[in-house]
Amino acid sequence: MNGLDASRISGTSLLAWRNLSHDRARFVVTLVGVLFAVLLMGVELGLLLGFARTTSGLVDHTDADLWITPAGTTNVDIAGRLDERRRFEALAVPGVAQVDPLMMQFAFWRKPDGGTESVSIVGFNLATGQGRPWNLVQGTIEDLQQDDAVIVDRLYAAKLGVTALGQTIEINNRRARVVGFTAGIRTFTQSPYVFTTHRNAQRFTFFRPDQTTYLLVRLRPGSDAAAVRDALQTRLGRVDVWFAADFARAAQRYWLITTGAGSALLLAALLGLVVGIVIVGQTLYATTVDRLPEYATLRAMGAPNRYLYRVILKQAAISAVFGFIGGMLLVGLVVLASAGSTVAVAMPPGLIGVLGLLTLCMCALGALVSIRRIMRIDPTSVFQ
Amino acid sequence: MSAVITLDRVGVTYGRGATALAALQDVSLAIHPGEMTLLLGPSGSGKTSLLQVMGCLLRPSRGRVQLFGEALAPDLGVEALAALRLAHIGFVFQHYNLFPTLKAWENVAIALDLKALPRAQQREQSLHLLERLGLADRAGHYPAELSGGQKQRVAIARALAGGPRILLADEPTAALDGKTGQGVAATLHELAHDAGVAVVVVSHDPRVEPFGDRVLHLEDGRLVDDRRPPRSTA
Repeated sequence: MNGLDASRISGTSLLAWRNLSHDRARFVVTLVGVLFAVLLMGVELGLLLGFARTTSGLVDHTDADLWITPAGTTNVDIAGRLDERRRFEALAVPGVAQVDPLMMQFAFWRKPDGGTESVSIVGFNLATGQGRPWNLVQGTIEDLQQDDAVIVDRLYAAKLGVTALGQTIEINNRRARVVGFTAGIRTFTQSPYVFTTHRNAQRFTFFRPDQTTYLLVRLRPGSDAAAVRDALQTRLGRVDVWFAADFARAAQRYWLITTGAGSALLLAALLGLVVGIVIVGQTLYATTVDRLPEYATLRAMGAPNRYLYRVILKQAAISAVFGFIGGMLLVGLVVLASAGSTVAVAMPPGLIGVLGLLTLCMCALGALVSIRRIMRIDPTSVFQ
Repeated sequence: MSAVITLDRVGVTYGRGATALAALQDVSLAIHPGEMTLLLGPSGSGKTSLLQVMGCLLRPSRGRVQLFGEALAPDLGVEALAALRLAHIGFVFQHYNLFPTLKAWENVAIALDLKALPRAQQREQSLHLLERLGLADRAGHYPAELSGGQKQRVAIARALAGGPRILLADEPTAALDGKTGQGVAATLHELAHDAGVAVVVVSHDPRVEPFGDRVLHLEDGRLVDDRRPPRSTA
């Protein structure tokens, strides 16, 4: 039965499967085409999502409801300075439960064996933990209570010349000591995040004790978030007040769209889609042309056009399913390989679903040329 | 018995202007159930065109076609014509036109699949038909594994699967040797008489002639003879 129980599946499914499986070389070419397209689309879209997550990771991993940023801030990695005393003005606004400062500033990291790297110092309020590092795999948050303590991510340890806990380096010519490692906290700017206390961050970056970068606001339960945001904006004047989700999206938009990185990834994914459509279209069309006498016979027997279309579309669907499975296995390998690198390929279930739909659409579009040919078939040709 | 197909002054012309070719001219006839009608004539005499008109595959340029007493509208769409073929007409072709990737019973089942029968019934009826045509032991074979006669009998089983009242065969014995060809012709004759199907066979093959209840002769697109041979096998 060629692997199928013909007494259980419909005639169109059987014809579709046999048409494909009886020409194995062509079927393999189709599958390789779909597989390649799925791999390209999967990796590019996974990179896009991975980058998007990276650009907004810091915002997404706080539980602040609102972010107060210096006016004109476009993303979380680059910002001016705020007067930390404005924190008290914010606390005076009804509905505000808590306000924490968060520092973010580029600095120079001098490696133990010489050489300098750019890093992003993230200084958070150790008392509340708002803005603290996540995925801590070595050391504790409390270790940061020491004056020179910092936590970095293992992904960037080699880049920063760090080989073990307790190692000392210099940040902007001030001594610092690595007390902990996180795993998988990436940065889009390639200046690794260096977590420390807000006070230490001020020292490392020469901020005055009354200066910070952001104020993170938590609301009282039941308060109207939009109303509080508007009230903060009015009260604080020349700052921007964002919902956390909006600020995360702004960061993603800034890095992925304004820098062109997102467009390049989307273009590559689109290229994969087009390549898939062309390959599936060509191979399905060749199969269809080979079998035109059979389609003409079906038409002569009284098969409606939609019966013929079903055969073609099922061929496309079979190619899509097998190609998708093979492609996703390879994408899975890429995702696994990227887990240990500074560039993450994200593959959540939602994206897998989107890729599945794209693959089906790609194959269906590839089948359109064949369907157009079938539409013009003349049943009297069976007598020639 | 009333006619299943009636043609009234039917004409078919291919092309236009100076290159126009009249394939059929003023053909009038009636086809009745329960008999095997032979359509004879030299090449280019219009036999196949006539078969296509009777099979709702070709709309005539002129004249009127009736199916079971109902006139076919000249502007009937291709999907409507296909529906008529599916409901009433079975075809047997010179080169069998079996699906090479399907086994014998699956080839027969396709005709039932077009009528949306449940798959289990498709298999059961297909096997029954193949058994009736003496092919029970070949049901699981692909066409490439069958002889010419076996292939043509599978094609006949497929044509009969939809329960047609009209069976149109185009040179069904041309690709078969003498004995096998006669066997196929006999099968078609039996179908006409036992099942009451109106069988029309286009043929050049003199071996088929003894099986015809009625013989129509075409020349240059015109029906020049319509006779019932005195010595029929019926």
